[in-house]
Amino acid sequence: MNARALSTDILLGIVPIALSLALWQAIVSFGYAPVTLLPPPGTVFMRLLQQLATTGFQEEIAATLFRLFAGFAIAVVLGVVIGLAAAASPAINAVVRPIVRVLAPLPKVALYPAFLLLLGFGHESKIILVAADALFPILLSTYYGASTVEQKLIWSAMAAGTPRWQILFKVVLPAAMPSILTGCRIGLVISCIVVFLAEMITSTDGLGHLLVTAARTFQAVDMFVPLITISLLGLILNGLLQAARSYLLRGFPEV
Amino acid sequence: MNWVRGLLSRLAPLWACLGLLGLWQAAALILNTDSFPTALEAIRAIPAILGDKESLINILASLRRMAIGFSLAVAVSIPLGLMMGRSRGVAAFFNPLLMVIYPVPKAALMPIIMLWLGVGDIAKTLVIFLGVSLPVIYHSFEGAKAVEEKMLWSGAAMGMSAAKRLIRIVLPAALPEILTGCRTGIVLALITMVTSEMIARQSGAGNILFNSLDMGQYDTVYAMIIIIGAMGIGLDAAFERLRARLVKWSEPGFDIPLSFA
Repeated sequence: MNARALSTDILLGIVPIALSLALWQAIVSFGYAPVTLLPPPGTVFMRLLQQLATTGFQEEIAATLFRLFAGFAIAVVLGVVIGLAAAASPAINAVVRPIVRVLAPLPKVALYPAFLLLLGFGHESKIILVAADALFPILLSTYYGASTVEQKLIWSAMAAGTPRWQILFKVVLPAAMPSILTGCRIGLVISCIVVFLAEMITSTDGLGHLLVTAARTFQAVDMFVPLITISLLGLILNGLLQAARSYLLRGFPEV
Repeated sequence: MNWVRGLLSRLAPLWACLGLLGLWQAAALILNTDSFPTALEAIRAIPAILGDKESLINILASLRRMAIGFSLAVAVSIPLGLMMGRSRGVAAFFNPLLMVIYPVPKAALMPIIMLWLGVGDIAKTLVIFLGVSLPVIYHSFEGAKAVEEKMLWSGAAMGMSAAKRLIRIVLPAALPEILTGCRTGIVLALITMVTSEMIARQSGAGNILFNSLDMGQYDTVYAMIIIIGAMGIGLDAAFERLRARLVKWSEPGFDIPLSFA
């Protein structure tokens, strides 16, 4: 794709976002919705900027980010390890596969009350919920990536005298990397969503809690602010992951 | 010997269920706290919930909202995703917007939508619709993008119109991928359903779950977890069977949904 087509694409992509903002503004300006229910976009974004400068709001973001990263990190470690193990050993596969088939379609939010009762209302229950939700896409794509590694690569590594366990790290893991990173990307988006929901249900801090407090006091402006913040966080984290991806996958064809 | 192995592998998910329940039972017996009943106690509480008329109506109402939200989302998302996959312009138009909406938790829109539409069925169905749409759009998009160019050329050479090509060539070719998206969508519909009812505590399965948590009826909490979990597993298995029948010709790439969860 040449630079010109790319810039046309970007321009085209801005149009619907600008249109929805304009529609939002129009609904307010022409009085279809009262300002208390739908504040104009300008007010919301001003409020967002104003809030971003306050330490209180920064602390809420920090609390949310801490839970998000902790849960996501657990999910990545467990997902990659279990995924690789299941792909490498038929015995582990026979155990893991049916369990995953049962647990993957289970709505993890429904487990949240159990986590609350077992782990308390602090960080732990939320982190575990995030980890439980982000785990399966990462595990499945790791397994998928690792089990489709070309057999010839493994054979040539063996012929070169690489020990079996080193093949896992030197051949299988790098070859499965694109698939693993795709799983991580999905897991990251899920983490954003889940951490917010968990904070909405029971929490004393974090972005989700901000939304709930605003909803209880009917502060429509303050309801939009945390939502926009989580969307921005998601975009930024996605961008960072994309950068990590193009670094890790340098040398792969068509990243 | 072969049929024994076949039977074993077909029943493997069942064994996994039993194993997990056994693990739960053991953990509960060891921990022995009030807030963590054993698996048997939780299972024993299920008939009471399903036998109660009010909660049964609640659960059925949840399922109805889910079905409506899901069908609407599929009806809108598949054509949109297919068009995005076939036309660069359409894709460039919608992609950034979808990327912005993507990390927003759809159930978190519930408080705002409730302000506009009230706590009724419409708000909850709308949230389910939003939750299901994105994965279905995404998978239809990927499926349509991967359609072999030559088939479209031969279709065009035979004088098919663009709309007809979309329905007769792109749709069937992208069907396996679309169904993968729908399968993810079904699980997501269930998740959004539970969360939306938990935020708008008025009716539904999520309401029963979290109300009993607040009232300390731990048996009911865990029984509801089993019921909702069983719905997820059951719907997923039923959909998988349907998928296998519809796209028998396509090799099953993977028998577990790869994305989202």
